[in-house]
This record gives sequence, structure tokens and C-alpha cells, in this order.
Amino acid sequence: MTKLIINNKPVEVIDGTSVLNAARSAGIEVPTLCEHPHLTPYGGCRLCLVEVEGARTLQPSCTLPVTEGMVVRTDTDKVLAARKFILTLIFSERNHFCPFCQVSGGDCELQNAAYREGMTHWPLQPNWQPFPVDASHPYIVMENNRCILCRRCVRACGELIGNFTLGFEERGARSLLVADLGVPLGVSSCISCGSCVQVCPTGAMIDRWSAYRGRETQVDKTESICTGCSVGCGINVLVRDNNLVRIEGTWDAKLNEGVICKVGRFEPLAEERNRLLTPLVRKDGKLKAATWEEAFSAIQAKLAPLAGSVDKGVAGIVSTGLSIESLYSFKKLFSDHFKSNMVTTLEEGDYTSQGSLLAQEMGKSFEGNAVDLQKADCVVVFGVDLVKEHEVLGFFVKRNIPNGAKVVIVDPASNSLEYFAEMTLKSGKTIDANLIKGITAAFIDSEAGKNLAKAPSESSIKEAIAKSGASEVDLKKVAALISGSEHPVLVYGKSLSAETLKALVQLSDITGAKIVGTKGGANSLAASQFGLNSPVKLNGHQLVYAALGSEDPSQHIIQLLEKAPFLVVQAAFSSALSARADVVLPSQSWLEQEGMYVNFEGKIQKGFKTLTGPEGTKSDEEIFAVLASKINFKVDADWKKSLREKVAQVIIQG
Amino acid sequence: MAKPKVSSDWMAGCSGCHMSLLDMDERIAAVLELVDLRSSPITDLKHPDETGVDVGILEGGINNTSNEAVALMMRKRSKILVALGDCAVFGGVPAMRNFFTIEESLRRAYIETESTDSSGKIPDDPELCVPTRVRALQEVVPVDVFVPGCPPDADTIFFALSELAQGRIPVIKDQNLSWQ
Repeated sequence: MTKLIINNKPVEVIDGTSVLNAARSAGIEVPTLCEHPHLTPYGGCRLCLVEVEGARTLQPSCTLPVTEGMVVRTDTDKVLAARKFILTLIFSERNHFCPFCQVSGGDCELQNAAYREGMTHWPLQPNWQPFPVDASHPYIVMENNRCILCRRCVRACGELIGNFTLGFEERGARSLLVADLGVPLGVSSCISCGSCVQVCPTGAMIDRWSAYRGRETQVDKTESICTGCSVGCGINVLVRDNNLVRIEGTWDAKLNEGVICKVGRFEPLAEERNRLLTPLVRKDGKLKAATWEEAFSAIQAKLAPLAGSVDKGVAGIVSTGLSIESLYSFKKLFSDHFKSNMVTTLEEGDYTSQGSLLAQEMGKSFEGNAVDLQKADCVVVFGVDLVKEHEVLGFFVKRNIPNGAKVVIVDPASNSLEYFAEMTLKSGKTIDANLIKGITAAFIDSEAGKNLAKAPSESSIKEAIAKSGASEVDLKKVAALISGSEHPVLVYGKSLSAETLKALVQLSDITGAKIVGTKGGANSLAASQFGLNSPVKLNGHQLVYAALGSEDPSQHIIQLLEKAPFLVVQAAFSSALSARADVVLPSQSWLEQEGMYVNFEGKIQKGFKTLTGPEGTKSDEEIFAVLASKINFKVDADWKKSLREKVAQVIIQG
Repeated sequence: MAKPKVSSDWMAGCSGCHMSLLDMDERIAAVLELVDLRSSPITDLKHPDETGVDVGILEGGINNTSNEAVALMMRKRSKILVALGDCAVFGGVPAMRNFFTIEESLRRAYIETESTDSSGKIPDDPELCVPTRVRALQEVVPVDVFVPGCPPDADTIFFALSELAQGRIPVIKDQNLSWQ
């Protein structure tokens, strides 16, 4: 611990703490701009200058570590004058025009800092040289005229996301925020996560969808979770008069710590699909608006004779984006009541079925969690493109690369993470178990394998390597990367065969590497635990009930389902399937209903209702409840028990 | 003590600050009890007394030679000069034009606008004032009080005027500085 005195107040903090944080811990406020609690201190704006006894000049408190007996003052005339002067310089460095800026009036940290110092004006003129405005990106506008060169966005892009798209060209007054090597942001390597927008203290990085739609003080903020995929990131949903204004990552969320991807941040705002606002029933070959009563009657008329008939009966297909409660009701209705032999999800258990089977076979969970991935210094990715899906997991991987983490891609298809990878292994059309066995053999054969209790024979090692389909050199390199790291992690996505997954678990056992399975949609794991994880096979099913939630059905699903004799579609948005349906039930979007979700690491979280659904729509749970009551079936509420009935690949908590 | 004499005028602005002044509603009567309003763009007399006034209030930036004259006259004739609103304080919206040359601005305004037919012509009558770069009031004459805002809130203007009327220099801070 280090003792120091700030504004005559004795303060004791852990060694190495910055003077800024020491002051904060003592309840002394020091204004800052470039500083951000989730980013490395940079000392760029100088607004946090303090007077330190014995120091020749004022010192930036954000980058100055405390020393024993230090005497600091944050409130002297010299400090206050310096703050005003610094703000004057920042205001006149570029072209800041508060009257027509999206963030002025409360959301701009620069303006707020000036207000705090009681500045009514600044004595210098703006720069008047026009700086470029880059509006090439679909979600973000880069307004260099309002940039204060604090580089928060650059640090967020590199340190939090690991993407390193943003950077600066030129020096001094000519410094310019650019994407890549000066290309328009819209065609750059930007992956639209929007973290730059979230950290920008001024209006230099603007979310073009939320601009002018309401300031921080005019909106309602609800903390919830994103249901875009199985990661389950914490989000803050900003709403004004039931209009979605903006979605931000929750800094306090343990899992994602403020970082989210475009799926959670921008896509709900940029939604272009048409909402389904009224039930529709097909009459004389055409879909016509109907009442809920008429729609339910139409379904009931078809359902009643089919209930209980296993063959040629009812098929139920549901989105894994629905809440656990909804999935449970769905399962109870279709499996237990209608005795359907085809109840599954739109993702058909692609991500979960093999993992679930193996966990039951082994009698225990074999997967790690997000923390394992966050501290991983060697990540071997098996057939999942973490740049295109489960993006936040990709951020966890990428952000460690500058600190020396190595990434190995094992993927027969092209993988966007290859660019960041130390090496890529390709073999055949699928990820073969033999390839993984080859890596295991190469590991056993290496120095690290010498200590293994029961090492297989020399010849079996040679054989495994020979059968792997990859070169011995490559396998040894992968093995060396795993053995040379402290926290190796193996990541897998979908479509691994039972044998491959077993080989993966064996590799994990021998190397001590953790396994992380991405799962698919928000409730992929819950659906799997409820047994909704088989491929869609329709043979003679007379009625297909598809609850799509907010999901857009894939071409594959559309092709399978459009031939159904009678198709019921329950969805929030219109799609090719809803156009083909015989009955359409308008449900609410994921932001409009609350429910529980279990993420890829088995953590049960609650998603909150942040918007009120349009008149005439019902929540998925409500629709299932009405359907159940129509057929006098009672769905119990004991989903928690059912969720744990069989061993899952990952321990379910909460 | 005699009532302080007050004059106001507007330059390159939208007159919104004067509208905000009127927006103080019945309190304007209270202000007029305390001050002697000599001239303003919205009353009969347009120029401050030649013998001088106590407080001169200017709205808008300075974007031509005519505005310059207004600013110089007001400065010369008033003891305390108030820059009212963002345009007077730092140039405001009209100052966006500084990103272009005056020729470009004039061409756009008089020839290239969508509503102008082929007979568009940049006015060149020698009696007209000459456009200049848009400047904040403090760039042309010394300013004593800055009241920022686009426009400043009626409450802020009321506060500033009542302070001036009572012989104090207003300190614009807290809720008078930022409306949130």
C-alpha cells in the first residue's frame, strides 16, 4: 500500500494505482476526457492535470502512479486555470459547433467538462479548416471535425476488440482518425461492433441510427441481455416513448464488459423486415387478416384430429432465440400433448446434439466458460468463424493476440479468423477425428508428453500422425503451440461428428486445454436440454407449426417447410415462410418480451422487456398459453428441473 | 439610482435569441420596471442613444460590413456589452459558411440554388454591404458578458437581465449555462 495526501486528505491505495484513481477513491473528482476505465491510460488530453509538490510542472494524474508521501492538489488556481486553457485549446483545435451536434446538451463529455469549469465561451476561434466526414459506413459516421484526438476509439478497437481498424495518420494539428490505411470506414476492415461509438467522448464517432433521437436524460435505460446468439452479452437498451433509441454494451456485465457486436448494437435499429401486426388466415388461397380467435380456431380445427398420432401428425419447429419458458411450453405442447415425433429447433441441434450425447455418455460436463477464453494464450478454433458468428467470443480471442496469444484455425472452409491466426490446418471436407488424434499424438510425442502416465506406443503415435491427413510438421507445430501455452483453449462450433468431438475431449484431457463450445442461438443449450435438437425431417406430417421468434428462416428451412400440407407460422417479422403459411400468428420481437436464457457457458440470465409490442401482437409465451388453454392442456412451470434432467456439456448455473 | 439604459440589436443570427427574450412572458414587464429599454430591433427606436447606454446586447455573429458597423456602434455607445447567444459568442450556425470561400457561398445562394432560374445573379450594387468571413463578436470588439445558448433559455436571459438591471455582472453557470 502507498500513502499519499490529496487536497490535504490522507489517502491509502494499492501500489501502482494512478493518482487519478487514488483521488477518485477518496471521493475527489478530477475531470477527464481521454481516460476510460476499461482502456489503458493514455495521458492525451491533459485535462486531469494536478499539482504535485516538488514536481516542476503540472502532472497528468491518469498516467502518474502514486508514490509514498506524495502531496497532490487538484483544486489550486493553477490547476483550474490549466483546465480552462486545455479546454480552450481542445475546442479551438477542431470545429466544435454544439448547436448542431447530435450529442450536445448532455451526452458530450467535452461540453460537459466545459460546463463543469463554468466556461461561457472560449477566447480562441475554431480551426475553420474543414476536416473530412466519413459517412460511408452503414451504422457509423466518423466526424473528424469533432475529434479531440483522445484515441479512445483507437484503444477500444485494439484493446477490447483486437481488430485494429482505427488509427491515426499524420502528426500534431494534422492528426487524422482513419480506418486501416486511410480507406473509407465502410470498406475498411471494420466489423461494425460500434465500440468506438460507445467510448467516443464527443460527437466524432456517431451512431447514425440514434442521432437526434433522444439524449441520455430523455431516454429510459433498461439493462437486459442480447439474444442474438448464445453468448448472452449484457446490454443497455435506451428507449424513448417506446421507440428504440440505441443499444449499448453494459460495462458492468461480467461476461462482455461493455463489448457487444453489431447483432446486438445496430441490427435491431436497422431492422428492415416488415412486422407482422395481425393474425392471418389463408382463405381461398390468399392470406387474409383475421382475429386471434379465428386464427386459433383454424389451427385447432386442423390440430384436433391429429393430436396423439405419432406418424403423419404434427411437427413443431421453434427458434432457439425464444425464452426458456417459451421453449418449455413448446416442448410440452408438441412432444407431450400432441405426441409429435418431430419437435426441434430451426438450428436442428447442429451445435448441441453431439455435445449433449457425449456429456451424457461421460456422465459429466466437459466444457469451460468465457473466462477460460478471455485468459487463453493459445486458442485452437475448430470449424467456427468467430468473426461472422458469436463475434464477442472472437473479440475475446483477438484482443489477446497482441499480448502473445496464438490462434490456430482448423477449418475445411475459409475462416475470417485466419488473418489473425498463427497457422491454419485444412483437411478434407469436414473436421476429421483423425486430424485431432494426430494433434494429440504429436503432443504426446513432444517434450510435454513425456510426463504422461500411460503413453501409447511409438508405433501407434506414428500411425495416428500418418492417418491424420496433415503433415507431421504442422501437427508438431500445433502441439508445440498448445504445450507452450499456460491457458490453451479448444473452441468448437457446429457439425462435429460424435467421433471428432470425442477426439477433441481426449485432446483436452491430455493437453489440459479447456473446451469451449459456442452453441448456436440464445437458448441453444436450453433447447438441447429439452431434447429439441434433432434434424428436421418431414415425412407425411400433416401440420407444421413453426415458431420463428425474431429469426429469419434459412433457405434450407424454407425449402423443407414450404411443402408442408398445413403450415402455421408464429413470428414477429414477415418472411418467405410467413408468406407461404396457412395461418400466421404475429408474435413480439425479442426486445418486447421478457424471459430466461441460458448462455453458452451454462449461465442462466434474464432478458427484460424493453419495448411494448405493437397492438395486436402477443408474446410467444402468451400464444403458447392460449393454444394450450384452447386444447385444455396445462403446461407446468417447472422448466428449471427439466433443464437439468440430463447432464449438459457445460454446467448449468443459476 | 436611475434605471439602467439598455439597447439591443441583432446581426448575423436568426433572431431566435430575441424570440427567447420575449419567451420570458410576463417577467418581461418586471424587467421593464427595472430598466429603460432605449432601442431594439423589435421596438420603434433602432439605435442606441448617441449619449450612450449602460448595457448593449448583441445577437448574432458578424458576417458583413454592416454587422461590423452595428457592433462598433454598440460597443462605442454602451458601458457593458453582452454577447447574446451562440452566434454572438462564437459564430454559431452562420459560421458554417466559413468552411467555404465567400465566392462559393454567394454562388450557391444566388445562382445554384434549386429554386433559382437561369437569371440568377450575385447582387453587386455598390450601396450594399460587403460580405466577410463570419466572426464572433469578441473578434471584432471587446465583450464583457457572454450568454451562450442556441438560443439561451428565457430563464437565462431573465437572470442575465435582472442581474444587469441591478448593477451586477451576471455569472452564467450551472442551470443557466447548460439546459439538460
